[in-house]
Amino acid sequence: MSKGYASNGRVATLAIIVLLVFGGIGSRLVWLQDIARDRWVGNVEKARRELIPSFARRGDIFAANGSLLATSRSVIVLGVDPQSERPEDRKKWPELAELTGLPLAQLQILLTTKYRAVVKGPAKPGGLTIGFNAVPQADAASASSAPPPAAATAALAPGDPGDDESDAVLDDADSEGRRPIRWLKLCEGLPPSLYDRIVKLGVRGVYGQRVYRRAYPHNELAAHVIGYVDKDEKPAAGIEAYANFYLRGQNGWVESEKDGHQQELAQFRTREAPATDGYSVTLSIDTMVQDIVETELKAIAAKYQPQKATIIVSDPHTGFILALANYPTFNLNEYNKIPAAEQRNLRDAAVADMYEPGSVFKVVTVSGALNDHVVTPATQFDCNLEKAMVDGVLRRLPAENVGDHFGKSTSVADIIAASSNKGAAQIGILLGRQRLYDWARAFGFGQLTGFPFGGETPGALLRPAHWDGLTITRLPMGQSVDVTAIQIHQMMSVIANGGVLLRPQIIRQIRNASGDVVYRFGPAERRRVITEETAHVMAHLLYRVVNSEVGTGSKAAIPGFEVAGKTGTAQKVIDGHYAKHDHVTSFVGFLPATNPQVVISVIIDDPDAHTTGGLPTGGFVAAPSFKRVAEALISYLDIRRPVPDFARGTLALEGGRR
Amino acid sequence: MKTLPPRAFVNHLVMYSLATIVIGGGMGLGSVWMRHQISLTANTNRILETQIAEVRRHSEEIRTAVAEEQDITVLKRRNEEWHLGLVPQSQEQVQAVLVNPMARLAAKRNRDIFPAGVESVSFRVAWQH
Repeated sequence: MSKGYASNGRVATLAIIVLLVFGGIGSRLVWLQDIARDRWVGNVEKARRELIPSFARRGDIFAANGSLLATSRSVIVLGVDPQSERPEDRKKWPELAELTGLPLAQLQILLTTKYRAVVKGPAKPGGLTIGFNAVPQADAASASSAPPPAAATAALAPGDPGDDESDAVLDDADSEGRRPIRWLKLCEGLPPSLYDRIVKLGVRGVYGQRVYRRAYPHNELAAHVIGYVDKDEKPAAGIEAYANFYLRGQNGWVESEKDGHQQELAQFRTREAPATDGYSVTLSIDTMVQDIVETELKAIAAKYQPQKATIIVSDPHTGFILALANYPTFNLNEYNKIPAAEQRNLRDAAVADMYEPGSVFKVVTVSGALNDHVVTPATQFDCNLEKAMVDGVLRRLPAENVGDHFGKSTSVADIIAASSNKGAAQIGILLGRQRLYDWARAFGFGQLTGFPFGGETPGALLRPAHWDGLTITRLPMGQSVDVTAIQIHQMMSVIANGGVLLRPQIIRQIRNASGDVVYRFGPAERRRVITEETAHVMAHLLYRVVNSEVGTGSKAAIPGFEVAGKTGTAQKVIDGHYAKHDHVTSFVGFLPATNPQVVISVIIDDPDAHTTGGLPTGGFVAAPSFKRVAEALISYLDIRRPVPDFARGTLALEGGRR
Repeated sequence: MKTLPPRAFVNHLVMYSLATIVIGGGMGLGSVWMRHQISLTANTNRILETQIAEVRRHSEEIRTAVAEEQDITVLKRRNEEWHLGLVPQSQEQVQAVLVNPMARLAAKRNRDIFPAGVESVSFRVAWQH
C-alpha cells in the first residue's frame, strides 16, 4: 500500500488551514451568538415583532327616550407616504385626484412634499416648533415627466388636508434640519367601495387607515348638553368631557410577528390584551322635549332677535333635566367650522352666563318672609311710599315698573302677583339684611348648583357686610345679585318640590357594552329650604301671578292646568349703569300648581329692539313662550288636568280593599 | 453466548435505521403539519376577526344612518315632502274626563241595585283586632 503523496509538512499545513477555517467560523459564531447577540436579536425582533394596537370604541350617548345622541362611526382616512412616491405613478394622479375629490395641484403638493422644515416658533419662546410649511421635493418634481405642481413652492393653506399637525406622521429631523413625512392625510370619510377603487389604482404609498370618528345624528339638538369630541378624540365640552371616564373605553394590543411583506403572522401571536369598549351614557334629556324647546327658541330668535335666550325644563321631584337649550347654538358635527366671531355660541349660557334676575327673585324674598312668619299672604303694605326707614336711616324705595300703580294697602299676595318693587323692598326690610342673605343662599344663589359641566359659575351674591345702603331695598326685587339661568330654575323647583332643593342632574344611567346597567343615578337632595306648607302657599301665590286679574303672567295661563310662575324684567347693567332699553325678560314657572309635573324657565336676553305691541317685559315676551312649551309638554308628557279627590268615594265600590 | 452473525446485525441495523428515519420523519412531518394547521387556524381566526369587525362597522353605519333619519328635523321635512299632513296633538283634540270613570262605570253597572240618583255608596270599614 502506498504511503500517500502528502508529506508530513503538507498534512500539517492542511491541518492548520482547516483549523484556521474552523477557528474563523467558530470565532464568528461566538461573535454572532454571544458577543453581538443582543444587537442581532434586537434587529430581528425589531424586524419581526410588532405590537398591533386595537382601538376601543367610544361609548354612545342616548337620550332618555332611547334616541341616539352621539355615536362613533368607523371611517377611512386616506393618506400617503410621500417617501414611497414613484415617477411611474404620476400618470395615475389625475384619476386619484378625481376619486379623492382633491384638486390635482393640491394633490401634487401633498404627494411630492417629502419633508417639513423645523422652524423656530415665534410665539413660543425657548422652544422649537414644527412649522407646517411644506418643503416640496424639488428633484422629485423635476424628474417627472408631468409638469411640476404650479403651487409646489407654496405652503399648504390653512384648512387644507395635511396642513394640521395631527394630519401627518413625521420622522426625526435629519442632518439638514428637515423632518421626513411618513404619512400625510389626503382625505377622510371615504366609502369602502371608493376606497377599493383607490387601492386598485395602485399608487404606491397611498393607503387608508380605519379610525373612529364621533357622529352626532341630531346635529344641533342639545348641543350644549352633549358637547363634542375633537378629531383627536379628545372630549372638549358637555357630557362628552364630563362622562369621558365612562365613555372612552380602554385600547388593547396584540404582540405578534410579521413577515417580509409586513403581513402579520397570526400564529406567532404571543400576548393579547383585548380592547374594552366604552360604556354608554343615558341622559335624562328627552329628544322630543328638547325639540319642543329648541323650536320655541328658534321662534323667539326669529321674532325678537335677542342676544341670548335659554329654556330649561325639568322634573321638580327628581331634579332631572328634560331639556336645556340656548340660543345661539351650533351644529355638533361642524363645531370646527364655527367662525372665531361666533365662538361664544359654544358657551352653555344656562350655567356659565350671569344676569340680574329682576322680579323673579321676589320668590326668594316672599318665601323667606312667609317661612319666618314675618308676613302672611294677607299682610298689607303701602306701595305708594317713596322712602322707608332702614336701620334708622330713610332709604329711597325702588320705583315701580312703567305703568304699575299700587294702593296704600297692597297684600303680600298682590305684591307678588302684580310684582310690586316697593312692596318687595319693604318685605326685604322686614326680613333684615342677614335673613335676606341667608334665604338667598338657602335657595342656592351665590354658589354652584352642582350642574356637572358647562363651566358653571356661582353667580354673585355679596355678604351683608359688603352691601351699600340701598342693597336691602334692591336685592328683594332681584337687583344687586347675579344669577345663572340654572340657579333661577332651581329656585322655582324648590317651590314645585315642596320646599326641597335638589341637585340638577342630567345622567340617568351608565350601561356597559352588553347593555347592562352599571350605575343608576337617582335624585340628590341638597337640603330642605322652606317648609312644605310655605311651599304650598307660595305655589298658590304664584298661581295668582298667572290667573288673577292683577297678575303679570296672564299670557302664560292654560285653562284647566293651574299654571304657576313668576315674571321677571331686569334692566341690564351696561357700562356700570342700568340701561333703559336693554332688559333680560323671563318667566319661570311650573304646572299644575297643586301637583307640579314640570318646571319651565324661559329667559330672553335683550328682546327690546324687536318687541312690538307691548313693553319688553317677562309677562309680554317670555310668558307666551312658556305657554307654548307647556302646552306641547301637556300633550307629550300626558300631564293631566287636576281632578277632585274622589278616591274616598270609590273605596266602598272596591270593597274597602286598599 | 450466542452472537448474531454479521449479516443479521447489518439487517437489524438497517431496519432500526429505517424505523428511526420513518418515525423521525413522521414526527417531523407531523410537526410541520401541526404548525401548518396552527398557522391556518390563526389566519382563519384573524380573517374572522376582520369580518366581525367589518360587520360591526357596517352595523354601526346603519345604526347611525337610522338615527339620522329619525332626527326630528328630518322627520318634519319628510312629513312635508311626502304630504303626510301629520301635526302635533293639540289640546282641542283632548277631551278631559273630569269625573271618576270607575265611579261612573260602577254606577252604571249597579243601576238596578241602587236607587236612581245614588252614584256612590260608602260603608264604614271596621277593623277587627
